[in-house]
Amino acid sequence: MALLTLTDVSVTIGKLQPLDKISFHIDKGEILGVVGESGSGKSLTAMAVMGLLHLIGGKVSTGTVQFAELDLTKLTEDQYRRLRGRRIALISQNPMTSLDPVLTVGEQIDQVSLLHLGLSAADARARSIDMMVQLRIPEASVVHSQYPHQLSGGMKQRIVIAMALVADPDLIVADEPTTALDVTIQAQVIQIMVEMVRKLNVALMLITHDMGVVAQACDRVVVLYAGRLAESNSVHQIFATPKHPYTRSLIGCIPTDKLTDGELKGIPGNVPGVMNYPSGCRFHPRCPMAQERCSTEVPMLKAAGSLSVACHFSESAAS
Amino acid sequence: MIAAPNLVTMKGLTREFTSRKGLLGKPRTMRAVDNVNLNLPKGKVTGVVGESGCGKSTLARLALRLMDASSGSVHFDGVDLASLGTSDLRSLRKRMQMVFQDPYSSLDPRYTIAQAILEPFVIQGVAQNAAQQAERTAELLNMVGLSPTVAAQFPHQLSGGQKQRVGIARALALKPQFLVLDEPTASLDVSIQAQIIELLERFQSEFGLTYLFISHDLGLVRYFCDQIVVMYLGRIVELLPNPQAPPRHPYSRALLDSTFAPDPLKRRVIEPLGGEIPSAFNLPAGCAFAARCPKASAQCKTQRPALVVADNGSSVACHHPHD
Repeated sequence: MALLTLTDVSVTIGKLQPLDKISFHIDKGEILGVVGESGSGKSLTAMAVMGLLHLIGGKVSTGTVQFAELDLTKLTEDQYRRLRGRRIALISQNPMTSLDPVLTVGEQIDQVSLLHLGLSAADARARSIDMMVQLRIPEASVVHSQYPHQLSGGMKQRIVIAMALVADPDLIVADEPTTALDVTIQAQVIQIMVEMVRKLNVALMLITHDMGVVAQACDRVVVLYAGRLAESNSVHQIFATPKHPYTRSLIGCIPTDKLTDGELKGIPGNVPGVMNYPSGCRFHPRCPMAQERCSTEVPMLKAAGSLSVACHFSESAAS
Repeated sequence: MIAAPNLVTMKGLTREFTSRKGLLGKPRTMRAVDNVNLNLPKGKVTGVVGESGCGKSTLARLALRLMDASSGSVHFDGVDLASLGTSDLRSLRKRMQMVFQDPYSSLDPRYTIAQAILEPFVIQGVAQNAAQQAERTAELLNMVGLSPTVAAQFPHQLSGGQKQRVGIARALALKPQFLVLDEPTASLDVSIQAQIIELLERFQSEFGLTYLFISHDLGLVRYFCDQIVVMYLGRIVELLPNPQAPPRHPYSRALLDSTFAPDPLKRRVIEPLGGEIPSAFNLPAGCAFAARCPKASAQCKTQRPALVVADNGSSVACHHPHD
């Protein structure tokens, strides 16, 4: 049973339409990876789910965002506020900016339970410390009364994860949660976040540009390109038999031991800006398989089993 | 194994920084780079990996003498950089250039791309008439795969990848032999990163360039480099003349283990490193990595391991290296 279902969601900002008819779902307790280059629409998708588009002057112009029994596009800001932090939580990219520098980290975790769960101060504190211990924050009761600047980047991001988990949400949206961290710390944070999400059976929408993280952590994957859905499938199928040339190119960009010198291939060109979306398939100017048809005809999203793909040549791509 | 002559030789290279806590605090000294001995073979790519604060960017600056060493030396093609006066150093800089990490801040927003690319010629006093300038600009832009129309544009009109291409074009303008690449792809998408690496690979083989490639991504370094140096808190902990060989230092292993393979069939549990990187102002007496190391013994806490060369030519600074 799907927990979150986006159906033909388009987002407009003024006259521009950076997101075009995106559809996907996340099941309860599932980890969904959302990938694509910068400018593909990953963060906008997250903002559409979190109801934050108005902050950048945007809105969901068509389509529905069904979360459990609620159509999120119909909620008032007041209703949304009760939902955010309680049933849907956000982990953003930079822990340095998502924590308040003048409050102790403990107070900031406590606030979530005080506000959303109506706990007493003592209970909220106990709950926060319990969550911090589960996230393997050493000396949790000491750290509870420390300020963000006293903690390392990895510890701060664990605090942000604790804030996201403490009200026992159904869904967490994590937007590039480890990009700002050092590599060894990234791996630890991803690992502990995934472990906790699995343990607490929370669904996770994991936005990342790191295909390694996707392979390691996700159940299913959605690939976005220039504001449209290119492909979605189970993580095993996506890596074993990617059907969209863009998916294949993305996987081919990762340096691995299997590649010898000169074999690493970038994707030529750049993601087009929203003002310059190409006609037809938006990937066609960069696509190694593009034919004439691709520049004129928008490929429809075809579904078969767990696969959805928008490419005129997805059948031949399989071979 | 690398048998090329060395273009750059670093001996006992050390750089200290002093800071004080508060206005009246006692000055404290840290060594951002501590006694680094490293040879860069001609025409090869040497990769330096490590996390933030390991001294890799300081090493990059010392290699070009963009910053003076506290002690030790850097020789470029037999010349001691520290012995050069301003004008000699400037003229030597034609032969050694740097590509910076952040293409967003390394280009002056008020300069057109053509001006940015031509600036090295101006600085070096290479006089050119307008026609030569236009020709050289078009040639350089073409070399890095940019359209000549870019010349009249300003940095804000370009994407990150395009800006980094301009940074490379500018570094190549004076036909150098040696390029220091300080995390040139760290702020770019993987798709664009791969483009830039393709470009750098091509120039390396076409012009026989020598690279010092700074990165935090051991996977990328293993792909791109001919030898690898792993740094931790200012020191070389391991030198691998064969990038594909499994590293032996526990820290290098941890770095390698932190990269997830893009293959869902290769899922694994990472043994997390304990603890945090210690402050460079307050280094432990023994091995700087001991507090986080799964193999640490009592010896590691008191005695700093020296960088020892093994039979296979690799060097490792560890009392208990992996086999």
